[in-house]
Amino acid sequence: MEQKLVSGVGIAGLCGIISICVFVIFFTVTLLWVAKLKKNYLKYMEDLPLDGGEVHATGNNQPESR
Amino acid sequence: MNVETFKYDNRIVRAFAIATIIWGIVGMSVGMLAAVELFYPGMNLNVQFMTFGRIRPLHTNAVIFAFVGNGMFMGIYYSLQRLCKARMFSDFISWFHFWGWQSIIVAAAVTLPLGYTTSKEYAELEWPIKIAIAVVWVAFTVNLLGTILKRREKHMYVAIWFYIATALTVAVLHVTNSMTMPAGWFKSYSMYAGVQDALVQWWYGHNAVAFFLTTPYLGLMYYFLPKAANRPIFSYRLSIIHFWALIFIYIWAGPHHLLYTALPDWAQSLGMVFSLMLIAPSWGGMLNGLLTLRGAWDKVRSDPVLKFMVVAITAYGMATLEGPVLAIKTVNSLSHYTDWTIAHVHSGALGWNGFLTFSMLYYLFPRLYKTELWSTKLANWHFWTGLLGIVFYVIPIYVAGITEGLMWKQFNKDGFLQYPNFLETIVQVVPMFELRAVGGTLYIAGVFMMTYNLYRTAKAGEFEPETEAQAAPLEKTPAVVHGEPSWHRLLEGKPVLFTVLAVVAILIGGIVEVVPMYLVRENVPTISSVKPYTPLEVLGRDIYIREGCLGCHSQMIRPFRSETERYGEYSKAGEFIYDHPFLWGSERKGPDLAREGGKYPDAWHYNHMDDPRATSPGSIMPRYPWLLTQDMEVDGLPWKLCALRRVGVPYPAGFENGPAQKSLKKQAAEIVSELKDGGVDTDPNKEIIALIAYLQRLGVDIKSAPEEASANN
Repeated sequence: MEQKLVSGVGIAGLCGIISICVFVIFFTVTLLWVAKLKKNYLKYMEDLPLDGGEVHATGNNQPESR
Repeated sequence: MNVETFKYDNRIVRAFAIATIIWGIVGMSVGMLAAVELFYPGMNLNVQFMTFGRIRPLHTNAVIFAFVGNGMFMGIYYSLQRLCKARMFSDFISWFHFWGWQSIIVAAAVTLPLGYTTSKEYAELEWPIKIAIAVVWVAFTVNLLGTILKRREKHMYVAIWFYIATALTVAVLHVTNSMTMPAGWFKSYSMYAGVQDALVQWWYGHNAVAFFLTTPYLGLMYYFLPKAANRPIFSYRLSIIHFWALIFIYIWAGPHHLLYTALPDWAQSLGMVFSLMLIAPSWGGMLNGLLTLRGAWDKVRSDPVLKFMVVAITAYGMATLEGPVLAIKTVNSLSHYTDWTIAHVHSGALGWNGFLTFSMLYYLFPRLYKTELWSTKLANWHFWTGLLGIVFYVIPIYVAGITEGLMWKQFNKDGFLQYPNFLETIVQVVPMFELRAVGGTLYIAGVFMMTYNLYRTAKAGEFEPETEAQAAPLEKTPAVVHGEPSWHRLLEGKPVLFTVLAVVAILIGGIVEVVPMYLVRENVPTISSVKPYTPLEVLGRDIYIREGCLGCHSQMIRPFRSETERYGEYSKAGEFIYDHPFLWGSERKGPDLAREGGKYPDAWHYNHMDDPRATSPGSIMPRYPWLLTQDMEVDGLPWKLCALRRVGVPYPAGFENGPAQKSLKKQAAEIVSELKDGGVDTDPNKEIIALIAYLQRLGVDIKSAPEEASANN
């Protein structure tokens, strides 16, 4: 039964190959994208959550904004 | 520079925070009740609404969608406003979202104990509630995207990406898995059958974990961890890779819930490979979180918020290493259906979701009430009690799971099963269930400590309903931040385009899983001896679903000698073509029932349902005395048969208008007669008759025509 099932799924192998290709292309593009980012841009993005724009600092143990 | 003054809405954050605490206590308490019932079955007090099969989905729904769901919305509504430097898009939608979500939770809390369930795990709610979920979720998504569109900060911080992915993917998953045919106000049948239904369900089930319990909480981690530590995330580059890798890979991994089942082998392998790949982005995210605290570990010693976060992130790392390991087929052959899965889920849920939620609550309450936390000491007590609770919960259950797996597979020197009676394997682990309840008690005790601490904090402070903020309005020109614009930055500046690309990323994996679904439909070998259920069996199957029997009994015999020796011939895809929904189950607290038909006389089933310990001493199954006294609902039968016909079950036209009722009466009379021979006197209209009819049908089609069946395979 299993043999018939697998052979019956004609594009199963193709599906696997396409999956791997999509996977490799996706991550190559992502890595290139990330590698090209400028340091000062990254610094700006990293600091985004630390400045909430609040006028008055609230809370006890941590300042709301720097 | 032109600076605008505006106000953040804290009321909605507080509302979700209170709901998080209340539903957390409710959901965990129901979990405790379920845990106790596993070693003391009488704990349900013989009340049907408190039976394990009905309250287990109530527990899972309450902790996932009520506790974590409200926790997620609390964190998102707080952080999104501050990251976008804008108030929420619409106050009306915020409150519609809040009350809509709470109403859905109440509806779930009422309907699940009543037995209104689709039986599909984490998607049990019936169709009217499913529609309500879709409406409320759309409202949330509109509010989320609307706020992003009216933001004053040009760039979308990585946390927002996770929020967008969550909103869109959950919508896609919910709609796809909710395709059902109504058969009354609180009854429906899945559009899919058997193997297709299983694949869609676990594509959903796995990604519900991914996109409800993981991605939103990762977004919250990327916001609240830097805030609490007062330092930026370790690597923004890594967070970008973490995001795209995670949402791209996660969606492919669903079939790892169906390893060694009747699902085609190649689809199982696809799920396994992508599950293994998931280790990379998951650990990238975990390390990014932990390394954020480099040079600030002294704060972890004194700040309870950071303490909870560190354990949460570590638990995330542990669970995301264990998950892929469990997806390896050889490991899964041991772990599947055992309590190992329960331990894995709870190490993630209690550690990652629970502790991160607690850390957010400890962070938010002092800020919302403009005061200090009432007692840091009590928060530390909560931390250690909760941590001990996790340890006492998961370790016994890991032991139980591995013990079960090994005992099920153990053969003696003569080649026979060492423990042929399933009950022996359960009795062995009952002490572990008792220890687990100790762990759960400790964990809830910690939550009560937190609740009191936060209540006193609120009492000591003054609630700030709105926080005033200032920011420059968004410029219309393209984004240029410290240098020339890159396409990545432009992408971040265009949320609509970003959203489309994120959807494409999740759909690629989704399509690759949906395509096999159609391939399978074309290739499921039909078995001529497999026939649709009789009307009485349909009613019996619905009772089986209502009582949540699949919470403890699987109907899927895997192709292992240890399983075929114990249960009989392994399950074939063609056996399930009329199963709307599939009832393979994911857990065995009792034996598999795929070949239950004909194993015992009708009277045995009658007595077993009345008192399982009368026929199986030491059983942990609850009693079902109400099945012996309640009348079956015959009035809804025509609706049910019509709905089943519409989804593809070949009942002849007009069958529901007479012939079905005649068939039902005839079969019921035969069972009553059989019961009488066994010394049981009962009416043919009692629910137990329908359930016996269904149980006696299970696996019979294959047994009755083995040659024909194999010829058609």
